[in-house]
Amino acid sequence: MRLRRRDLHALVGAYALDALDGPERDRFERHLRRCRACEDELRGFAATAAALGMAAAAAPPAALKEQVLATAAVTRQLPPVTATSRWRRAAPGRRGARAGTNGTFGMIPKMATVVAVVALAAAVTLGVITATTRGSLDAERAHSQQIAAVLAAPDARIVTGPTSAGGTATVVASLRRGAIVFTSSGLRVLPSSEVYQLWLLGPGSARSAGLVPAPASGGTTAPVLATGLANGDKVGVTVEPAGGTNQPTTTPIVVLAVPV
Amino acid sequence: MCAARSGHEPAERADPELDKLLTLVARGDEVAFEAVYDRLAASAYGLIRKVLRDHAQAEEVTQEVLLEVWRTASRFDPARGGAAAWVLTIAHRRAVDRVRSEEAAAAREQRSAQAPAPAVDEVAESVAASMDAERVRRCLGTLTELQRESITLAYYGGYSYSQVAALLETALGTIKTRIRDGLIRLRDCLGVS
Repeated sequence: MRLRRRDLHALVGAYALDALDGPERDRFERHLRRCRACEDELRGFAATAAALGMAAAAAPPAALKEQVLATAAVTRQLPPVTATSRWRRAAPGRRGARAGTNGTFGMIPKMATVVAVVALAAAVTLGVITATTRGSLDAERAHSQQIAAVLAAPDARIVTGPTSAGGTATVVASLRRGAIVFTSSGLRVLPSSEVYQLWLLGPGSARSAGLVPAPASGGTTAPVLATGLANGDKVGVTVEPAGGTNQPTTTPIVVLAVPV
Repeated sequence: MCAARSGHEPAERADPELDKLLTLVARGDEVAFEAVYDRLAASAYGLIRKVLRDHAQAEEVTQEVLLEVWRTASRFDPARGGAAAWVLTIAHRRAVDRVRSEEAAAAREQRSAQAPAPAVDEVAESVAASMDAERVRRCLGTLTELQRESITLAYYGGYSYSQVAALLETALGTIKTRIRDGLIRLRDCLGVS
C-alpha cells in the first residue's frame, strides 16, 4: 500500500518514539529528507521523548562507570562527517542509516559490528586492569595497544559462534595485520589439568595460536592476540592437557571461518 | 492547557554546557566524556531498564550506548537538537532494537499476553521524584487516556504502534494520530522547543 504524503507525515510521532517497523520506517525516512516541516516537528518530539526518558532516570551500578570510561579509552572514535561523506551516507536504502534520523542525530554504522567490538574492547580493558594489578604494566600496555590496533584495523572483520563447550567464541581478524584477537564468554570451566588452546587452521596444517586464559568471574576470557594469520585460515579451539600441545589432540569445540 | 508550565524551566532545556562537552568528547577528551557520563548515564540507564525490564541487559545496553556516544560524538550537531535528546534517542533506539531482536521478542510477547500492559500510573509513579519527573507526570496527566496510553506503551514499553493498536484494541490510524496529537500536547506542556 502506498501511503499518501499526508499519511506519511502523520507518522512523525510514531517515528519519534521508535514505534515504526522496518519498511514503514524506511519509507518515512525517505519522506523526511524532503520534508522540512517533519524535521522541525521531529526535533520537538525528540526533545519531548527525551524528557520522558529523563523522567525515568535511575542510578546505574557504580562499576559501570569505570568500565565505560576504560573501554572508551581504548576505542577509536569516528571522524566527523565531511560534506562529501555526508552526501554518500545519505544515499537511500543504506543499512544502518535509520539510527541517523536522516542526519538529525548523526549516523551510526553497522550496529552488530560495533556491539561486538565494544564487547571485545571491554574484555581488553578487563585484561589490562588485571595485568596492572600484577605490575607488568608496560608489557601489558604494549600488548593491549597491539590488540587495539587489530580491533581498529580498517579491514577488521568479526565473527562469533557458539561452542560445544557452551558459550560463544568471538574472533576479530585483520588480514592486513596478519593477526586475530580471540575472546569468549560462557565456556565451561576446565579442571586444572586441561586448557583451551587456540589454533590457526590452514589447509592441512594447524598452528598453535596460544592458550586461552581461564575465564574471569564474569565468564569472559581475556583477549588473546595471535599473529601469523594467512588468507583462508580458520580459527579453532580445542581442549588440551595443561601447558598445551604442538598439534590438536581433540575435536575442536568451535571452528570459525575468518570472513574476508 | 498545562498549568504546570509556568514558573518552571523547560524539561529538555537547551544546555550549551552539555553541548560543549560533547564537542570536546568528539576530540577525544576523556575528562569531558566522564562529565557527560555523570550527567546522562542515569537517564540512559533508567530509560533502558524501563524498556527492557531486566537489570543485566539494561547494564549491557547502557554500556553500548555510552560507548556509542564516545565513538560518534563527532556526528553530534547542536544545531539539530540538544545533547541530552541526542543521547537519549540513541539509548531508546538501542533498547528498542534489543527488544525487537532475537527470541527476546517472542518471549516477551508471551509474557505480555499474560501480564497486563504496564499501567500508566505505574510508569509515572515509579519515576524519581525530581522536578523534571514531576513535571512530566503532570503533563502526561493533561493527555487523553488514549493519547497517554499510546505514548507510554510505545516509548516506555518499546512497542511498535501496530502492537500498541493491538494492545489497546484500537484502529491503527487512530493510534497513529493519537501518538502525534499527544506528543504535540506534551511538547507544549513541557515547553520544549
